[in-house]
Amino acid sequence: MKCVIAGGNVKVLGRAVHSLSRIGDELYLEPTESGLSFRAVNSSRSAFASFLFAPLFFQLYEPGSAGPDTELFRCKVHMKSFLGIFRSLPSLEKSVGKCLILLKPRASRLVLQLHCKYGVTKTHNLAFQECERLQAVFDTQSCASRLCAPARLLAEAVVHFPLTLAEVTLGAGPGGKISLRNYVEDEAELSKTMVTELWLAEEEFQSVAVAPGSHITFCLKEFRGLLSFAEASNLPLTIHFDEPGRPVIFTLDDTVLEVHLVLATLSDAESSSQSPSTNGVSHLPAPSDDFADDLESYMAAIETSEGCSEGPPSPTFSLHIPRPAKSKPEEEEEEEEEEEEEEEGAVPGTPPHKRFRSLFFGSVMTPGRPGPATTQEVLAEDSDGES
Amino acid sequence: MRFRAKIVDVACLSHFSRIVNTVAKLAKTCILRLTVCKLYFILSDKVANGGASLWCELSQGNFFDEFQMEGVAAEHNEIYLEFVPENLSRALKTAQSAKAVKIKLTNKHCPCLRVAVELPSLPSSSRIVTHDIPVGVIPRRMWNDFREPSVPDFDVSIYLPVLKTMKSVVERMKNLSNFIVIEANLSGEMNLKIETDLVSVTTHFKDLGNPPWASEDRCQSSAQGKDLESMAEACIDIKKLQQLLAGQQVNPTKALCNIARKRIVHFILLHEEVSLQYFIPAIA
Amino acid sequence: MPFSAQLPASGERYALSASLDNARHLSSLLRAVHFQDYATCLATASGLRVTVEDAKCIQANAFIQAEIFQEFSVQEESVMFRISLSVLLDCLTIFGSSSLPGTSTALRMCYRGYGYPLMLFLEEGGVVTVCKINTQEPEELLDFDFCSTKVVNKIILQSEGLREAFAELDMTSEVLQITMSPDKPYFRLSTFGNAGSAHLDYPRDSDLMEAFHCNQTQTNRYKISLLKPSTKALALSCKVSIRTDAQGFLSLQYMIRNEDGQICFVEYYCCPDEDITEAEL
Repeated sequence: MKCVIAGGNVKVLGRAVHSLSRIGDELYLEPTESGLSFRAVNSSRSAFASFLFAPLFFQLYEPGSAGPDTELFRCKVHMKSFLGIFRSLPSLEKSVGKCLILLKPRASRLVLQLHCKYGVTKTHNLAFQECERLQAVFDTQSCASRLCAPARLLAEAVVHFPLTLAEVTLGAGPGGKISLRNYVEDEAELSKTMVTELWLAEEEFQSVAVAPGSHITFCLKEFRGLLSFAEASNLPLTIHFDEPGRPVIFTLDDTVLEVHLVLATLSDAESSSQSPSTNGVSHLPAPSDDFADDLESYMAAIETSEGCSEGPPSPTFSLHIPRPAKSKPEEEEEEEEEEEEEEEGAVPGTPPHKRFRSLFFGSVMTPGRPGPATTQEVLAEDSDGES
Repeated sequence: MRFRAKIVDVACLSHFSRIVNTVAKLAKTCILRLTVCKLYFILSDKVANGGASLWCELSQGNFFDEFQMEGVAAEHNEIYLEFVPENLSRALKTAQSAKAVKIKLTNKHCPCLRVAVELPSLPSSSRIVTHDIPVGVIPRRMWNDFREPSVPDFDVSIYLPVLKTMKSVVERMKNLSNFIVIEANLSGEMNLKIETDLVSVTTHFKDLGNPPWASEDRCQSSAQGKDLESMAEACIDIKKLQQLLAGQQVNPTKALCNIARKRIVHFILLHEEVSLQYFIPAIA
Repeated sequence: MPFSAQLPASGERYALSASLDNARHLSSLLRAVHFQDYATCLATASGLRVTVEDAKCIQANAFIQAEIFQEFSVQEESVMFRISLSVLLDCLTIFGSSSLPGTSTALRMCYRGYGYPLMLFLEEGGVVTVCKINTQEPEELLDFDFCSTKVVNKIILQSEGLREAFAELDMTSEVLQITMSPDKPYFRLSTFGNAGSAHLDYPRDSDLMEAFHCNQTQTNRYKISLLKPSTKALALSCKVSIRTDAQGFLSLQYMIRNEDGQICFVEYYCCPDEDITEAEL
């Protein structure tokens, strides 16, 4: 894969990377015929984002050649290293004229070259790992509710909440009013915590089509990341949501850019704070060892076995936990040990309280055994504490 | 018990939030005392614990366009609430461009001060933010704990220098020492001093002026008999002083301090109808 | 107390006495070498040199020429003492470190000699601060023996071109590798971090390049943690001269222009990192 990004678009890519860095520790690069996609997922698999830049976004775009049986080469890199290159957005704007991204599978290198003012060239050779496709399962069409608003409106709304706040509840009130409110976990805290609620009139939105009385609770951190991207790009943001517990999907559309942010939402029982927290992981049906492959290949399976939705009619989210995790310090990642990937799907270090469901099917991972048996389990939770 | 109030004027709102910010910087929790004419923010750390205390008083008429309150009983027409001033500060921070801010005492699941902010929006609609700040209602038998501290029997009263200069000096001194000696005399001179194994630093301010407390029967009345040059000193926790100087957003028109030798330093910041008093006990 | 009353009586003999009408001219230069608490001060007739060292591998010197001061007198051939730089900086900036237009802190500095404290008298807007900072026995300093005749390669760059590079250095890399060469890549900074390598290339005809005198290709590595503090000097400077000798010792000279347009210098010397084999290069 080879692409060249010119001028102001380098900053757009930089902002996208900043936004993705709020989600996960790894950045997935996926070249396709329809553009270059950057994706990230959080460790508990309750948040997923993808930025797809169309070929027109680039000065030059060559996705590489895929054989009849082989797919285009995909990889993932450390988010931190990639972010490091785009850390300072003002200086990107000031000094970078052109950015070249080169994926060299044979040399095991992802090369990023920035051509800067005064003829200075910065060349970054990043280590990567080959990976399967990362794809969350969601369907904006099946969502019962949809809201579209200028990013600015939502950005102005979230400033009323403290940066440390973990979750907000979005609700549809009477008279088409939309509310945002900080989510307070249990009753005991309610008498100690300031509750902030914001009401926005229907007219402030570009469109409102919501089921009256519906409400969802999701993480604010990732949403803020997308909002700052959307605000800087001056794009309207569409929110697709359904019942509590089903994912909320935030989308941005532009001629050269397509952005999706998918966040798990609290299920109703939890959001009304009734169910005592139990260790969701322990309820897991142990996945058969035969299929203890890495998570990415399961995701690929999801992609290729769309028909599986014959199981539960709606995406109910549960996560495949492949084998007990052999936890391994992230830092000591060697450049080329691709076997290591197998452990990566597990979520070592995820706190054992259950909150959010994962965005990925567990059921479809076992061919021939469609999902219902496992779909009701809540498997993974957010880990917003790690930020 | 009822309370509701409303601020419309932008300047009043920003002034009120500056005062709340100042209180929030100095106290994690404090008492809000409401009377028909006045609001008080009170922090009374027991001096025995080495804590500082705060007494901030403002006339409601200078800030609020509406102000209605009903205390527990007609003869005790007051309300005492304990709350986290940081919450109120946060609620007002994003209200700076508000068309109106209403504050109301409510009791939904718990007693709360509800701050309702009406934000500018499209002409046809309004954008409302409400903040429910949990409060504890202080029963009448405990009101006595929150009486105005008496002005200490001081040795010297002196106007403070430009607070910005004083803040800068105290901040540097804080890097060097945990304690500061503040001393002043009746000739308008004040010194700030620190001393450690490595360094000693003294900053001399002069021509500050000594406020007249003439009408009152304080030690000042016998000033004639006193040595005008003699310094009254107190050693205090430098962090407490630094917090006051760094946290204050009152922009006082008058600032002074009273030093009771080796006992307490009493700071008074005045801005129109607002007065903020801060008491820092001396370290023996 | 009037300022004059605080000043040392004229009859007293001081080993060093100096006055400066803007203390910031001194404090900003000292901040450029403030990466360790203690510094060694050496005063001679030509001015004041403040030296800071770390790990026996790096030495930073700030030079404040006698001409920068309104008065600068040294009674002996040289006067030397060791002092806490953090304390000295807090004292020099007692009235604040930001420069407001029309305000400046006047400084008078006296040192009576061995065993005595360094006295500072600072005045701004009629407020006077007196500081007495204890001094210590000077320690022996490293001698890098870096003289211009032994220089192999030398490049002068506008500091602007290095600022961003240093701010973004991959600190997961142990070393910063500097390549200077008469041929491509001319001048290259490289890091080797957790996530891969990065190279920064400056062409010799770049507008940033004020002088380019490279005689032979040299690639040397320096501990990145030791070089990072020089960012403070880089931030203040307008030009930087990068020189190496045959052993790979590095000299970074920063030219710093103060608010009054006077020029001062800060110099960093650094040993090459020895823990590398030829194969790694």
